[in-house]
This record gives sequence, structure tokens and C-alpha cells, in this order.
Amino acid sequence: MTKEKKLSITIDNRTVEVRPHLTILEAARTHNIYIPSLCAMEHLPSYGACRLCVVEVDGLRGFPTSCTTPVEDGMVIRTDTGEIRTLRQEVLKLLLSEHPASCLFCTEQDECKDYQGTIRKAGVITGCRYCPNDTRCELQQVTERIGLTETSYPVYYRNFPVEKNDPFYDRDYNLCILCGRCVRVCNSVRLNGTLSFKQRGKITTVGPAFDRTHLEAGCEFCGACVTVCPTGALSTKTSKWYGKPDKEVATTCVYCPVGCTLKLQVRKSEVLDVLPDYNSALDHGFICVKGRFAVPEYVHSSFRIPVPQRITPLGYNDISWDEAIAEAAERLAGVKPDSFLMMVSPQLTNEDLFVAQQFARQIIGSDQIGSPLLYDLGADTGPFVNLVSQSSAFDVIDDAEAVLAIGFDSTYDYAPIGIGTKKAAQRGAVLVTINSCDTNLDMLSEMAFTCGTEKWSALVGLLTGASAQGAAPLFPTWKKDIAGIQGIFKKSTRKVIIAGPGLLAAPQRTEIIEKLLKVKEKGGWDIIVAHPYSNLKGMLAMGAFHGIKTGAIINENGQAEGVKGDLSKFDLTKGCTVIYAVGVSDLDSLPDCDYLIYQNALPSESQRRPDLLLPAALFTESSGTVINGEGRILPVNKAVEPYRSAKPDWWILNAIGERIKKGVMKYAQVQSVQKEIAKTIKGFPGVKKRLEFSRIDVKMKTPKGAPKMRKQGQFNYRGIPLEAVVKGMKAIEERIELISGSNRGAI
Amino acid sequence: MSDTDTNHECVCAQLSEEELYPRLELIIEEHRNKPHELIMALHKAQNLFGYLPRKVQQMVAEGLKVSLNEIYGVITFYSFFSTVPKGRHSVKVCLGTACYVRGGQQTLEKVGKELGAKVGDTTEDRRYSLDVVRCIGACGLAPAMLVDDDVYGRVKSTKIMEILDQYK
Ligand code: SF4
Ligand code: SF4
Ligand code: FES
Repeated sequence: MTKEKKLSITIDNRTVEVRPHLTILEAARTHNIYIPSLCAMEHLPSYGACRLCVVEVDGLRGFPTSCTTPVEDGMVIRTDTGEIRTLRQEVLKLLLSEHPASCLFCTEQDECKDYQGTIRKAGVITGCRYCPNDTRCELQQVTERIGLTETSYPVYYRNFPVEKNDPFYDRDYNLCILCGRCVRVCNSVRLNGTLSFKQRGKITTVGPAFDRTHLEAGCEFCGACVTVCPTGALSTKTSKWYGKPDKEVATTCVYCPVGCTLKLQVRKSEVLDVLPDYNSALDHGFICVKGRFAVPEYVHSSFRIPVPQRITPLGYNDISWDEAIAEAAERLAGVKPDSFLMMVSPQLTNEDLFVAQQFARQIIGSDQIGSPLLYDLGADTGPFVNLVSQSSAFDVIDDAEAVLAIGFDSTYDYAPIGIGTKKAAQRGAVLVTINSCDTNLDMLSEMAFTCGTEKWSALVGLLTGASAQGAAPLFPTWKKDIAGIQGIFKKSTRKVIIAGPGLLAAPQRTEIIEKLLKVKEKGGWDIIVAHPYSNLKGMLAMGAFHGIKTGAIINENGQAEGVKGDLSKFDLTKGCTVIYAVGVSDLDSLPDCDYLIYQNALPSESQRRPDLLLPAALFTESSGTVINGEGRILPVNKAVEPYRSAKPDWWILNAIGERIKKGVMKYAQVQSVQKEIAKTIKGFPGVKKRLEFSRIDVKMKTPKGAPKMRKQGQFNYRGIPLEAVVKGMKAIEERIELISGSNRGAI
Repeated sequence: MSDTDTNHECVCAQLSEEELYPRLELIIEEHRNKPHELIMALHKAQNLFGYLPRKVQQMVAEGLKVSLNEIYGVITFYSFFSTVPKGRHSVKVCLGTACYVRGGQQTLEKVGKELGAKVGDTTEDRRYSLDVVRCIGACGLAPAMLVDDDVYGRVKSTKIMEILDQYK
């Protein structure tokens, strides 16, 4: 690429060099020159609505808005003359003539910030209660910068009813300044299209068509609109009165294998809110409802297990960590390797998973390491993990010519993959969807094949050319469509299949997976798998999987012949002496045992009552890493102290392990675990490039006692449905139910 | 794209709404997958139906690949578009300054009462729609009223029904 020639411009008597194709506002910002603005925002298309960013440019008439005027070589710009200042004040006054101005001009403003949200009634300022008290109001900041302290116009209160009937955020359009940021982020960044300006003149508001709720209008509750709103018009229900965060901690979302960056907004020992990172190269800030809104209520749930507890005939008794560790060690010492079962969640961190497998193998001497996959997938576990291990980088979607999405809908999860797909379709890639109900991608697709899951295998075979055997007669009405798509697919070179969670609900899932792998080998398709087992790649890499050793699956030079596994003897019915369940909460499906250890953050919803409860710290409370769906090692960073006595999973495992057999683990901190992992996975956890995974060939039979597909909601973390602790998720689950019956991602 | 090959004159008076949908399909076909031609498509659809019912908006949304919410925004922004059906005859009462001072408001009230409709509404039999206008350049004849393209000047309350009755 040829280097673009820089332009030289003069702003406020300073001559500076800037990149071409910038607006004056952007150019000024890169040189730290402040121009007030309310509607312009990085990553959003220019709009020119608020008129606060006016400047003077030699040779241009009047006062152009700097956010819509591109820089030109030799331009002479003034941003702060007396005339401009007066003009801005006047513009701001007009803008405020429809916005409650008490909080902008109130003399008690400074104190107010500290006391807003107080429950005391007398003697203190209780705030006007128009807006959240998170001190993020840009309108306040701009008013201060412009130096407006009073207004000469009466304030016209528009008296719109406040809209509170959607989950997660409230809307008070009396505070809206019609800057259009929310409309632009929803349409041009999220490519969703829920928001639009409605009506005109003084009754203009923002919202979906026909007074529908956001939920009904297809909103994904990504919260992008709330994030960009410069006023208090849009506010998060749970955090709006919680005040100003005092630090921000960047971490990785553990709710799905994409691994978006989350910016946790923390005050003291609490995560108040979560914001996206628009500069993240991985997800571009396209986080979904789970990352945006489902973290604080989960990690600060009042149902958290506070301290270790032991079962007694009268219920659970609180005990100290020392007693708990001693009791667990006593029950575990001398357990026969094949009467032990370690059940781990694929949503734990790498470090937790590593220590868990080490515990099973080196402390107990057992390779009985299982996970909920065995129940969800039964005999298909092997093929499925093989598919996952061979999935591609997410950015293959960025220059794909053809995309086939199977059982995939990105409304409420996997948002970066979904938005990538929509962008591809918008720039002309051919998008084809297969699903049992409408999906959010259908609107942009060339063809949406809506049919029962039992037909998917045949359809996939036909479309990709993997095998056409006996399939054609199944689709008499689609004959022409199928032929057309086949032709397109044959001609395209950069092709991507997205296998969504719906795939897991298809009866012939193994057959489909085999077809996918075949066309990956022979037909040049890339495959992205969107599934609910967040750190599955980490689980495989750490070897927290029966028959697979730590690091065995990492394929450093791209030619290992593959890993062999054997789950054919795994028996989920055989009674055990001890079962140790870490982050797994479907206890009723587990085999019988004499002693059940349940290590998790929230109590299980199962009937069966564990003998020992060990309170685990969550991902906001301890550090570690995960490996995302494309094989990148991503950091999980501690933001707050663990809840009450909770401890990181690796810490608990280490403590019990040390009590049983001294000297095997000895981990004092997470870094020592990482050092140990680095012995087998070179450079861990500092590896910057994607880890390559080799093929896995797992000999499978349906493990006895499986599959048992417990009907669950779509979203859960460490075995707990999000809707059980996050209020708004209930509405989302109901919406999915309504649209899809029960077919979508039954896991 | 050519505008001449399909005749989009309003035929809503002769055909039932159901019978109009195949014609709408033709309009949508012309603009399929072209979001930037939204206004043109809506324009033609409105000419066809006389207004833009929800179902029509939905079909246009799907055909042009524009979100329904955006379409609604456009429709509610431009006064040309209407989401309520228009009557066969449009009755417009002038409330420009001259008409106003000479009793335009009373005329409007009387017309509204006779028709049983508010400003912006259509009578249930879809015979009339009632609207106001600001000056039609007939100040000398104030208070004035417009039915379809016919101007009536010096309208007297007692004459109103007589005038309206001529329009079937
Ligand atoms: S939450 Fe996201 S999808 Fe919903 S209206 Fe806001 S920006 Fe649009
Ligand atoms: S709701 Fe907020 S972001 Fe949206 S137009 Fe109003 S002030 Fe701007
Ligand atoms: S920032 Fe330029 S007009 Fe609003």
C-alpha cells in the first residue's frame, strides 16, 4: 500500500500535519485541540446534528460544523474565537430549551454528585432523580466547557412517559437531545436496526416502529445505545444509582468461546457495570447482552455460597476452610482410581482446568475426568471436539465470498461473529442460512432454508457438495434454489461455514460434522463453531479430558498426526466412592456415590444434595486465562476481592491435593500454575499467535448413562442458567422460546 | 429502472385491499434489495393503497432489506405518507389567517361534526378524509374549503352538507 501523503493545516495558529480523509474535528482531536461536540463520536458516521462543533475556516462561508467538514491541504481553521464562543452558547441554549436544565445550572451541583442516590430524606441534597449518577453525562461536561451558567429561554418539558417496560435499560426521552448516536450505533455499527427517529418536530423521539417494545422489535440488548448516549436518556436499570466507578479493569468474557474484551466498571468491591472496548482487535466492541448486562447480577448474586459448608441431618453447617480441606482430603485419600470421578466445567479458566486434571491424575491416580459434554453430546462428543479443534480464526469471515450459517442466530450471543457475517453480506458475500426457525441473518441472506433439524444433514450435504446421496427428493420445492446455491458455492474460493449451537440439537449431528470436516479438507471451506462451552479449547489443551494429556493437542508445526482418545469405556452409571464436581451443577445426572463434593459459586438447582459445598471465586475475582474459539490465549483479570470466603478453583484443588499428597502441586499463586503449564505448552500464557490444534480422534460409544439432554435454557455459566440470577435474561429466554419453539440451541 | 412501465395510479377505489397485494409485489420486485430506493417504493405503495398499512410496511421492509423500524421513521417523518387510509374524497378546510378570522375554525368544527371525523381522520365508510390547510390563495373568498380539486368560498355552516353530499 502506498503511504498516503500527509496534509498540512493550521488550527488556531498552530501548523500541524494530519492524515488525509479526516474531518476537522478528528484532526483537532489527534492534536489535543478541544472542540465541543455532542453528536460526533469515534466509530460512528458523522451526522452534524448538534451544531456545537462549529469553527471558522478561511475561504468557507459562515461557520461549518467541524465534524462533517473534511480537512484539506493548507486549510486555516480557528476553533475558539469570541464569535464562535457566543454562537456555541446560543446553540447550546436552544438545545437546552427542551432539556431539563436544573442539574446543569444548579449551584449545588458539586455536592450533588456525592449525595445523589442517598436514602436519607432530610438535610441533604437528594438529587433531582432525572439521570443516573454515574457522572458520565457529556451534556454536563460540554455545558461546563462552553461556560454556560444560565439560559434565557424557558425550558419546555416534553412530558413523554418514561419507558421502563424492556429488560436491562430504561429510556426517558425527555432528556434526549436527538443527537442520533444511538440510532447510528444500532444501525451502522451493530447492523441491527431497532432504533429510528420517529415523528417530526417537537414530538420527535427515538424508538422502534408502532410503539412496540425493544424486545418485540428485535433489539439484541447489546446496550450499545446506552453506552454512547451522551445524556441520561438511556440508562442501565441495575447500575444507574450506583455512582461513579473508581477503576476500570479490562478482562475477557467467559460466557462464550468468542472471548470479547470487557471493561469492568468497578467501585470498591463491586462490579457496577460493563462496557465494551471499541478498540479491541478481536471483537471491535461488539459484545452481546451477556457480556454487557449479565455480569454484575451473576457475580454479586445474593445466592452465592458464602463459606464452606458440610451437610448434616439438619441441613448445612458452616465450617472453616481448614475443616473443609481436612474433610475432603480424608474422604479422598485412598480412593480407588476407578471409583473416583472428576467433573469439570468447560467454562473454568485454563489454570483451574490444569490443576483439576493434575489433581485427578497425580493425586488420585485416576483418568476419570468428565464434563457436561458427555451428557449433552453422548456418542457425538468425540466428533464434536474434533470439529472444534479444527475451527478457524474468526476473521476469515472478513473477506469471505460465501457464508453458510447452520443453526446460528447471533441476536443474543456470538455477536462479533454475527456482525462480521452481516458485514460480509452487505459488501456482497453470498449468505445462506439453515435453521429450523427464522434467524437474525435471514434478512441479509441470499436464501434462508427453514426446515426441521432432521433434514439438515441432507441439506448440508447437497449445498456443500459433501454428499448428495438420496438427498434431493427431500426438497422438491427448493430444487432451483439448491442448484443455484450449489453453483455459487462451487465458484467461490473463500468460503466459511458457521456451525451454530443449533447444530447440537440436530439428531444427525455426527453425520453433519463429518460432512463439514470433509469439505474443510477437500472443498476449501473454513469452519467457525459457535457453541456454549466457552473454554473448550482450553479444556482440551490443558488435558482436562479423559485420555488427553496436557499440551498433547497443541500442534506446533502443523503436521502432527492427531491425538487419539478413547471414551468408549467411560461409564456414567457406575457408582463411585467420591465425585468431585467443579463448576458443574447438574448433579442429578451424575452417578451414585458415597461422597459428593460440589465446588461452585452458586448452589445447584438439582434435587441431589452434595455432602460438601466449597465456595468458588468467579472470573471477576481471580486471574487466569482462557483459550477462545480460534485458539488465542486471553487474559482473565481479577477486578474485585472474592465474595466472602470464596477461593479460586485452582487454590481449593491445590489445598486439598497438598493435604493428601505433599509436594505434587505446591501452587502459591496463579503464576506458579502458569509456569507449570509452560513446561508443556511453550511460552504459556504469553503466546501471542493462535495456538494450532491437531485432529482428535476419540473412540466413542455413547457413555453408559448418557446422553441425557436436560432441557436447559440457552445461556448458562458454570451450570447455572443466567436467567436464575440475572433478572432481564428471563425475558430474553421467553422471547427465544416464542420465536423458535424449543429448537434453538437446546444445550 | 423505469417508471413508465407500471402504472401506479391509485386504483384503491375499485379494488379491495386484498386484490392490491399482487400489484404491490410488482412494485417491490422493481426495488428488491435496494434499500436506498425506499422512498420511491413507499411512494408507489401509497399511491396504490392510498395509505401505508402495517402489512405493506412489513412487505416493503422484507423486499428492500430495510428494517421495519427505519421505514416507520421515514413514514412518520414525511407528511406525504400516511398510515391511516385516505377517503375517496379529500376535504380540506382552510385555516390561513384570512379564513381563520372569518370563521374557518367554526367551519372546521361543523364539517368534523357532520362527518364524525377528526382532523387527519377518514370516515368509516372511507368516503371522506378531513384535513386542514394553511391558505389556498383564496383569501378573497374566506372562509374557504377544498373538496378534491374544487374550491368553495364563503362557506356557510348551513351549506356544508349540501356541498359534501355531491361527492359520492
Ligand atoms: S440495545 Fe443494541 S440492538 Fe437494542 S436498540 Fe440499543 S443498540 Fe440497538
Ligand atoms: S437517546 Fe441519547 S443517544 Fe439517542 S438521540 Fe437521545 S440523547 Fe442522543
Ligand atoms: S459534533 Fe458536529 S454537529 Fe454535533
